[in-house]
Amino acid sequence: MHLPILSLITVTPLVGALAVAILPSKYPDLIRRTALGFALLAWAMSLVLLAAYAFGPSGFQFGETADWIPTFGIQYKLGVDGLSVLMVVLATTLSWISILASFRITDRVKGYMISFLVLEVGMIGVFIALDLFLFYIFWEIVLVPMYLIIGIWGGANRIYATMKFVLYTLVGSLLMLVAILATAYAFQVGHGGSWSGAFDFQQLAAFAKAGHFSDNLQILGFLALFLAFAIKVPMFPFHTWLPDAHTEAPTAGSVILAGVLLKLGAYGLIRFAVPLYPFAAHTFAWPIIVLSVIAIVYGAIVSIVQTDLKRLVAYSSVSHMGFVTLGIFAFNATAFQGAVLQMVNHGLITGGLFLLVGVIYERTHDRTIARMGGAAARMPIWATFFGFFILASAGLPGLSGFVGEFLVFVGSFTVAPAIAAASIIVMVLAATYLLWMFQRVAFGTVSEFLTGLGTHLTDMNRTEAITLVPLAILIVVLGLFPSLLLDLLRAPAQAFLTAAAAVHG
Amino acid sequence: MSWSDVGTVAPVVIAVLVAMTILVVDMAAPGRRGPILVAALGGLAVVAAAVMLQAGHTGSAFGGSYSLDNMTVFLDMLFVFIAAMTILFAGDYLEPRGLPIAEFAAILIFAVTGGMLIAGSTDLLLLFVALELMVLPGYMLAAFARTDSYSVEGAIKYFLLGSFSSAILLFGLAYVWGITGTTRVDGVAAALTTQLAHGTIQPGLAMGLAFMTTGVAFKMAAVPFHYWTPDAYQGSPTPVTAYLSVGPKIGAFAIALRLFVGALGPLKADWLPVIIVLAAATMTLGNLVAITQDNVKRMLAYSSIAHTGYILVGLAAYAGGQHSGLSAVFFYGAAYTFMNMGAFAVVTALQKRPGVTSQIGTFAGLGRRDPWLGALMALFLLSLTGIPPLAGFWAKAYVILAAVQAGGWLTALAVLAMVNAAAAAFYYLRVVVYMYMREPTEEVAPSRPGALFRVGLAVAGVGTLIFGLFPALVTAASNAASVFRG
Repeated sequence: MHLPILSLITVTPLVGALAVAILPSKYPDLIRRTALGFALLAWAMSLVLLAAYAFGPSGFQFGETADWIPTFGIQYKLGVDGLSVLMVVLATTLSWISILASFRITDRVKGYMISFLVLEVGMIGVFIALDLFLFYIFWEIVLVPMYLIIGIWGGANRIYATMKFVLYTLVGSLLMLVAILATAYAFQVGHGGSWSGAFDFQQLAAFAKAGHFSDNLQILGFLALFLAFAIKVPMFPFHTWLPDAHTEAPTAGSVILAGVLLKLGAYGLIRFAVPLYPFAAHTFAWPIIVLSVIAIVYGAIVSIVQTDLKRLVAYSSVSHMGFVTLGIFAFNATAFQGAVLQMVNHGLITGGLFLLVGVIYERTHDRTIARMGGAAARMPIWATFFGFFILASAGLPGLSGFVGEFLVFVGSFTVAPAIAAASIIVMVLAATYLLWMFQRVAFGTVSEFLTGLGTHLTDMNRTEAITLVPLAILIVVLGLFPSLLLDLLRAPAQAFLTAAAAVHG
Repeated sequence: MSWSDVGTVAPVVIAVLVAMTILVVDMAAPGRRGPILVAALGGLAVVAAAVMLQAGHTGSAFGGSYSLDNMTVFLDMLFVFIAAMTILFAGDYLEPRGLPIAEFAAILIFAVTGGMLIAGSTDLLLLFVALELMVLPGYMLAAFARTDSYSVEGAIKYFLLGSFSSAILLFGLAYVWGITGTTRVDGVAAALTTQLAHGTIQPGLAMGLAFMTTGVAFKMAAVPFHYWTPDAYQGSPTPVTAYLSVGPKIGAFAIALRLFVGALGPLKADWLPVIIVLAAATMTLGNLVAITQDNVKRMLAYSSIAHTGYILVGLAAYAGGQHSGLSAVFFYGAAYTFMNMGAFAVVTALQKRPGVTSQIGTFAGLGRRDPWLGALMALFLLSLTGIPPLAGFWAKAYVILAAVQAGGWLTALAVLAMVNAAAAAFYYLRVVVYMYMREPTEEVAPSRPGALFRVGLAVAGVGTLIFGLFPALVTAASNAASVFRG
């Protein structure tokens, strides 16, 4: 019997949450360090997982299975392929960075750290669950802590933002529950009334591949899952919760929202929506591609006119995530790998951008672009980092942002040249809104507003730098050696395309 | 009548004796709380033990008008539990207001006895008598704070509409009796089967069905027969509301099971559309109106209407051909009891100091003022929303699964139920917003709940959590209960 490493990674933050819960709240520093310790432990374990993962073979590794609710064949079933491993590492990395970045939070530290650790449990769980019911439960577990994080530690308009976030997500996820149950039932009927394996992703996918799900079920099931995931990604026109949630969330909340939570949606599309309902996925591929391109263009255009730093980064997420959905539904290996790279890159880059916006907001209590101006003169280190992440986000070749978008272009070009060409133009738009924003914030003479802050406006401190350096290193490394990830993704890409190819229901 | 008959109805008999003992104890030691609580809780423990002894057995008494089966045992346990929890919660509310606990406990146990009798009734007349035994003490409980005009107003509305609906139900029962010539549940079902086979079913039966549906819908507070609920719930003393929101509701569903599933089972294709419409209207209207409420008690009243709708989905799934719909109904009843009584208990705890209202503003900053109470309320509200892994989630999942299995219109009903559940999140989480995301408007001194109260809260909280993590603990019993004697 091998070590149940997946369970261990999932349980570590949970143990951390319990440990924090029993610490007395009068020692906030101890609470912060305990939380960070457990997050780092989970991170270290996820790196062990990555190192131990065998790149070559397809299928899931480190599988764990136990019966949970035998009456309905619901299992505690975990397993990872290259995609999941990548996402788990992304989640654990951004989790400890977020917790470290939250050390300056002083209000209700205990609740905050518990929320973050529980959030981490949910995120990891979503990426490793191979039972649909278990997946659904982790999916919903993510919701509650994020609701609290935005609602309690967020900005002025936090309650509106958090309710909007929760209601959008719940509408999607509850319909997804109906679809999951209907799908499992169809499987049960197809197996002579036996519930055994009815929620097992691998068995369901095999069943779907053999064409046993009716077209009707596929269409309805796909639409329900697609809605749930599209809201999370978020795809146009389901994106309206995102600018509010990102803007009102505390810095670390935005980092996790952009860095990991949006990926849950894309991951769901890849792992569940397409393999379970391949016929429907093909039926709706074109509308989804069109929506993706709209999201890419619309997100970019709206970003140009934003006056708030955080809102700008939030809308740029809509644009960047559009590449992910475009890459998924182009249904070829290059575009798929590009999409997953884009998921990782967006997590690193946007996470970094939110951290940097948080740094300046911490000092100025303002995010209005027009009031900044000349920040580079007062905060050179900050401006350097900011410029670096801006260039990465704009897709500068040599940094990781470029690779993902480029692969999606190449991949989707073979399918739809016009669409790919349209999204190329957005590269220019992205450079426009990002560099223009950077110019307004960092260059020129120091604005009156910043001067007025006097000595309050200090440059980045060491802790803040520590949160950003790992992200910057990863962006450079993945930009120069994308093959590191591409090797990891070869088998998942193949599996995804094989699953998606089973068109006839 | 024979001694074995008495054995079969032993839990009911013991419950009546417990209620009378409480009155005697109160006469012997007037105004003393301790002996009363010992008599009430100890007595209920004896009743529970008697019920447990019957578990797994079947039998009938009084010529078949009372049946002992798994459903009887399941519901008896639930009723005893409801009574015990209500008594645990009531002390902290009644005492500061100078309301007597002895009468409260005695009336409550009489009411619960009615519920237990319903659970075992397999005769139309006994069913009606049992129903009245359950609801009449309920009217008294609603008016228990008799100097409070809201309490009296709510009670009068409850009494008038309650009596009215009882009469309508009785009228419907009379039709069925007239057409089938028997009051035995199994006899009615057999007669209807024969008539269906010979095509001699009479149009008058439609009248009977309509009256009975109306009567039962009144009792379970299904839209459009729900108008008494918000006033009765809001006006009643809060522990009474906690009881009213679960006890009589589960009693009404017990009637529905004995009457519709048992007696009118052969006609289920005819009453299925009615139940579907009722379920759809009940959950949608309940949720929409709940969203607009600023009073938490009233909000929970409308939310309980919405939950009636969800439970009806399970009943509809049964009529649509999925027997698992019935186990879903039982599971829902149990899960709902824990989380809803818990939520009302927190409201009660806040109102320990007389004069504190149940307006949503009362909850502002509760998470900071009293972390445990706040966390428990959040737990109950999240469970009511249906967030996993809590009991309320499985309740919804089982109902939805049964509906999806039944297919057709019921799938649409399942989708509607889930859209409703998402909308309901708004008003449940709104309370969480007040508890954790707003500062208290006035500094209210935290009133520490008594020891018994805390035991009750802990039981509700642990139940909500444990049944969520290990739903199989309940499903075994709820599956068994769903196979009952028609």
